[in-house]
Amino acid sequence: MDIEKNIFELRERLKYIQDIFGFKENDNVVLLGAKLQELTDALPGLDAAEQVRQLTSLEDLFAFLEKKLERQLSPMDRVRIVRHPQRISLKDILEHVYDNFTEIGGQDEYSVDPSMLIARAYITRKVGNKVHNQSVMVIGQEKGHGQEFRNGGSVKPWGNAKALHYMKVAEMENIPIHAYVNTPGAFPVEDYPGAAQQIARNIYEMAGLRVPVIAIFSEGGSGGAEAIGLADVRLMLSHGYYSVISPEGAAAIEGRIKPGQKAPTELMENCAKRLKITAKDNLSLGFIDRIIQEPVLGARTEHFDFFRSLRQEVINATDEIILNVRGMNYFRAKAIMRQKKSPRVNAENIFVRWKLGGPARERLLWKRYQRFMAMSRHAFLDRRPVGRKCMEFGLDLGWSVYSFFKYDFWRKHQKKVSNLAEDVGAEFQVVFDKCLAPARRLKAVFSRTNDEPNGNNQCQLTQLSPWEKRESDQQQGYISPQARKDRAVSCPNALVHGCMDMWAPDLFGEWAGVCIHCGHHFPMEYDWYVHNVFDPQSVREFNAQMEAINPLGYDGFDLKLEEAKRKNGLKSACRTFEARINGLKVVIAMLIAGFRGGTVGAAEGEKFIRAVERARKKRFPLLAYTHGTAGIRIQEGTCGVIQMPRCTMAVRRYLEDGGLYLVVYDTNSYAGPVASFLGCSPYQFAIRSSRIGFAGPGVIQETTGMPMPPHYHSAYQALARGHIQGVWDRREMRKNVYQALLTVGGRNLYYR
Amino acid sequence: MLKSRTQHKLLIANRGEIAVRIIRACQGLGLDFVCIATREDAASGHCRLALETAGERALYRISSYHDPNEVFSVADESGATAIHPGYGFFAEDHRFARRASERSRPLVFIGPSWSVIRDLGDKINTKRLARRLNIPTIPGSDKPLYDEIEAEEIAEALFAFQADQGVLRPVVLVKASAGGGGMGIEEVNDPDKFRSTFRRIRNYAKRQFRDEGVLVEQRIFDFNHLEVQIVAERFGKNIVHFGTRNCSVQSLGRQKRIEVAPGFAPGDIRYAFDAAEVLESITNHSLNMAQEVRYDNMGTWEWIVTPNGNPFLLEVNTRIQVENGVSAVISRLPKKPCVDLISEQIRLGLGQPLGYDQADISFDGVGIEYRIIAENPDNKFAPWVGRIDRFSWTDKDWARVYTHVPLDRPYEIPTEYDPNLALAIVWGRDLREARERGGMFLDSLVLEGRNLAGDPLQSNISYLRAKTVDLLMF
Repeated sequence: MDIEKNIFELRERLKYIQDIFGFKENDNVVLLGAKLQELTDALPGLDAAEQVRQLTSLEDLFAFLEKKLERQLSPMDRVRIVRHPQRISLKDILEHVYDNFTEIGGQDEYSVDPSMLIARAYITRKVGNKVHNQSVMVIGQEKGHGQEFRNGGSVKPWGNAKALHYMKVAEMENIPIHAYVNTPGAFPVEDYPGAAQQIARNIYEMAGLRVPVIAIFSEGGSGGAEAIGLADVRLMLSHGYYSVISPEGAAAIEGRIKPGQKAPTELMENCAKRLKITAKDNLSLGFIDRIIQEPVLGARTEHFDFFRSLRQEVINATDEIILNVRGMNYFRAKAIMRQKKSPRVNAENIFVRWKLGGPARERLLWKRYQRFMAMSRHAFLDRRPVGRKCMEFGLDLGWSVYSFFKYDFWRKHQKKVSNLAEDVGAEFQVVFDKCLAPARRLKAVFSRTNDEPNGNNQCQLTQLSPWEKRESDQQQGYISPQARKDRAVSCPNALVHGCMDMWAPDLFGEWAGVCIHCGHHFPMEYDWYVHNVFDPQSVREFNAQMEAINPLGYDGFDLKLEEAKRKNGLKSACRTFEARINGLKVVIAMLIAGFRGGTVGAAEGEKFIRAVERARKKRFPLLAYTHGTAGIRIQEGTCGVIQMPRCTMAVRRYLEDGGLYLVVYDTNSYAGPVASFLGCSPYQFAIRSSRIGFAGPGVIQETTGMPMPPHYHSAYQALARGHIQGVWDRREMRKNVYQALLTVGGRNLYYR
Repeated sequence: MLKSRTQHKLLIANRGEIAVRIIRACQGLGLDFVCIATREDAASGHCRLALETAGERALYRISSYHDPNEVFSVADESGATAIHPGYGFFAEDHRFARRASERSRPLVFIGPSWSVIRDLGDKINTKRLARRLNIPTIPGSDKPLYDEIEAEEIAEALFAFQADQGVLRPVVLVKASAGGGGMGIEEVNDPDKFRSTFRRIRNYAKRQFRDEGVLVEQRIFDFNHLEVQIVAERFGKNIVHFGTRNCSVQSLGRQKRIEVAPGFAPGDIRYAFDAAEVLESITNHSLNMAQEVRYDNMGTWEWIVTPNGNPFLLEVNTRIQVENGVSAVISRLPKKPCVDLISEQIRLGLGQPLGYDQADISFDGVGIEYRIIAENPDNKFAPWVGRIDRFSWTDKDWARVYTHVPLDRPYEIPTEYDPNLALAIVWGRDLREARERGGMFLDSLVLEGRNLAGDPLQSNISYLRAKTVDLLMF
C-alpha cells in the first residue's frame, strides 16, 4: 500500500473541505485537520502494519465526518461547491456519460466563446443483439476546472448566439438537446449583440424548438441559466443551485453596497438562505422535475459512480419526453415509470427512438407551453371572488369562440365576396363612363352658362372646412404633480448643449418632460401616458385584483411590499388595460417604475401573460409599455426568474398567431424582462433618454473589471446594436404608436 | 388683486427704442420702473436714460435678453410687480406670460392674457377662428392636409377661383404647416404639377419638421398690407380701435420700412375700389373677432388687401407694435393733448378702466413713420455695422423722433442686435402735406459714421425718400 499517496489524497480531501466551508469555524473540519497532522507527524515512527491501521481508521473518520458535514451544508456552501475547480465540468461529463463525442463550435481557447461548449455526442444502447447509437446535441457552459479563458462559465452574448445556432442545427437534424447549465450568470457586455438582446433571442427561439430539450442544472445563475435552460425536463444536481441572482449580487443589492466594496459574508449567507436556491427548494417550488443525487460534498472528477447515475437519468429523461408525445408508448412508459422509482434498473435496456414526427413535435411544443404556464401559480394572490372568476372565464371562452367565427371563419369568405364585388364594380364603371361621356359633356356646356362659379368658389375656399375639435383644444386630463411647482429645472445637458433652464409647469405640462433645446427626456409619471397616449375615457383596466406577495417568505420583504402598494395605490408593478388610440383597440401591459423599481415577480408575469392571452383571443394588438424596470424581483427568487421563459412563451404563441407586439421603453430598463419577453419583440422602441441594458454600471465594473464606457446603455447605443428599432420622442408618442399599429405586425389583427 | 397704479413697479424686459419709450411712459404715469441691459448694450440710450432718471438701482445687468429665468430673478430682486415685454423677445411668448402670471410671486404681464396669446399666436388657429366668424381669410386650407386628393381638390378650386377673379397668372402656394421663415414653401403655376410639388413639400416637411401636414393657399400678388390697432380693457371689456395703418413698404425680408396711418386715403387718391368701405369692413371684422376671443390689452389685426379690394385676414399680433406711434399721431382723444398708446397699454395692463369709448376717438390728418436703419437697400438690405459720429435733424413741431442712439457722442452699433437706429414720425393735415413734410424731414436728416474699414455709413434714407413719393397708391 502506498502510504504517501493515500496521505496525499487525504490532504487533498481536507483542502477541498476547507475550501467548501470557507472562513467558517467548524469543529469537524478542525478535528480532521488536527488528526491528519497528528498522523503525518507520527508516521515515521510507526511500523508498516500500524501505519496502515491508523491510515484506515483516519480514512473511516474522514468518510464519517464528510457525511456529517454534508448534512450541515448551508446554501452558500453549495454555491462554493459548484464553483470549486474540482467540481465536475462539462468535458468530464462528455467523457464519462456519453459514449463518443466531437466538440464543435471551437476548441479550448480557439473559440468564439470558450465558456460555451458544444458537442455532438452519442449514447450507445444495446437492446438484444442490436446496437443503437443515439445522437444528441450537448450544449453547456464549461468552467474547465479553473482555466482562465473559460471565464468561470460566464458566457458572453456571442457564446449564447453560438448555442442558439447549434440548437437550430439540432432542430434541423431532429436530435434531442442536452443542456448543462453551469454558469454564475451571463457576462454583462453590451456589444453586438448585447447580453440582454441575445438572451431574449435564445429564450424566444427555445420556446419554439421542435426537439426534446432536457436541462441539467448545476449552477443556474439567472439570465445566463435561462439562455439555455428552457427545457421539457429540468433536472438538477443535488448540490447545485438555481437562482434569480448570485448570492453575492443579492447581498450587494440588499446591503446597498457601492461599487468596489465587498458585501459582508454573513449577509451573503443570509441572502443565499432566503433566496431558496438549493435543489430541494426548487423541487418543492416546482421549477425542476427531479434531483440527481451526488456523492457527499458534491461530485468531483473521480466519482465514476455518479457519472453512471447521471447517464441513467439523462437517458431516462429523454425517453420520458419522447414517450409522452408519441403514439405507441404504453408498455415502455410503464417501464420507465418503474425505473424512475428504482434507479437501479438499467434504463438502457428499453429502446426508444429519439426522433419525432410532425404531429409529435406539435404536441411537444404544446406540452412545454402548458408545463411552464402551470409554474409559479402559487406565488401571487388572485383576490377575485369566485363568481367573478367564473364570469371572466366564461367571457374568455366567449371571446375565443367569437373570434374564431368572426375572423377565422366568416372573414375569410367575406373577403372573397368583397374582392369579387370590387372587381365587378370596377368593370361596370368603365362601361358606364364610356356610355355617359356625351351626356356629361352636354351638362358641362349648360352649367357654364347657368352657374355662378365666382360666388360658389369663393364661398368654398374662404369658409370653414368642417369644424372639428383639434387635439390641442382638448383639456389636458392629467397634470403631473411636477408641473404644479413654481421652479426652474436645469437640463443635465446644459453644460454640453447650453440648454436654458425651463419652468417646471411648461416642462412637465406642455413639453411632456422634454427639454426643448436638446431633447433630453425627464422622467414622467406613468399616468401621463395613460392620459395622453390613449383616447380619453377609453382605458379599461383588467386583472387589477392580482396582487404581488412574498412567496418565499423573504425576511423583511412583506413590509417593503406593503409600503410599495400603499405608496402607489397598486397591487403589483404591472397594470394591464384595454384602451383605444384613434379608435384602434389595444391591450396594454405597463411596467411601473414606482412599484419596487418596476421589478417583475410572479404576479406581474401572470398579469402580463393574461394580457397577452387576451390580446390573442380578441385579435388586438399588444403594447408593452415599460415605464421602467430594474429586472426580476430578486426577493421572489426562482418564482421571479421563471417569468422570463413563461412570458416569452406566451408572447411567442401570440406572435405566431399573427399578432402585433410593440414594446416601448421609457426611463431605465434593465436585466430580466429586457432579456426575455420585452427584448424578444420584433418591434421595440425607446424614448431618447431611456437606458436599455442587461446589468447596471456597478455590476459591469465588478464582473468585467473595467469601468463602464459613457452612454453604454443609451437608447442610441441600443439602436446601433440592433436591439431596438427606433428612438421616439415622448411628445409624439401617440402619433408614433398609432402609426406603428397601422404599419407593422402580423396578419391576424381585428382591423386588418 | 390689483394694487393702485402708483404702488406698482414695472420691469422693462426689452432694449433700445421701445425701452426708451416705456421709460418715458412710466415717467408720464408716475410709475417706478426697472431696466435690464446686457454688457454689449451698456452705451445704449435706454441704459443712460434709466440711470439719469431713476439712478443706479433702476438698472440691472443681465447676460441675455432671451433668458426668462434671469428676467424673473431680476424681477424678484428688484421687487417689480409688473412686467412689460415691449416688442420682440418675450412679447408673443405665451409661456413667458403664463409663467409671469402663475408663478408663486406673480407679476402683472402688460399684454394680453397668456391663453389669448397662445390661441392667436398660431396662424392656423387664427384662420379657423376667423372663418368661424365669417371673416375673410386667404383662400385655401384652414388645417394641415395629409391627404393628397383632398389637397388637389383645394388646389384646383384655387386655380378656378383666381381665374374667375381675373388673375392672369394664377399661383397656388404649397407650405409645410410646421415650417416658418420661408422654409418649405413652393409656388405652383400649373395644376398638373401640383401633385409632384405637394409630395416634395410633404417629404421635406416630414424630414425637417417631423410633421407631414401641408397647407395650400392662394398666392396673392401686389397686395397692400393693412393693420387695425385694437385696444381693450382687462378681461376683454370695452374694445375699441385706433384706426388703420398701411405698411406696404417692406424690405425683401418682409420687414416694414414705412408705415402710414390711415390705411388708405380715399380723399386724396382714387382707388379702383371703395377704399372707405374696405377700411370700415376690416375694422369691424377685427373688432368682432377681438370681442369673440375676449381680447384684452393691445393688439394688431393684420390684413392684406388685393388690388381689386378684397381684404383677407393674415394674422394677429398680440403685442404693441413698432409702428404704434403713427396711429397715435393721427388719433385724438377728448381732454388729452396727445395720445400715447404705450402709456395706454401700461395703464390698461395694470387694470385701469379705458375711460372712453369708440365715439370719443377721432382721427385727424395723415401720419408717416420712417424706420431709419443702417443698411444698404441696394444690396438686399444688408445691415451696416460701425460707429455713428453724427446724428441730427431739424426740429419741427410736426415731426417726432424716437431713438436710443445718443446724440451728443459717438455710438457703436452693437452687432448682437438689429441695426434699427430711430423711428421718425411726421404728420400732415392730408396725404400731400404729410408726404411733403416727410421729404423735408428726410432732407434735414444728417447721419454720418464710419466702420472699422473706414467706409462711410450706409443708411436707407435715400430708399425712404424714393418710396415717399407714391405712398398709399396701389
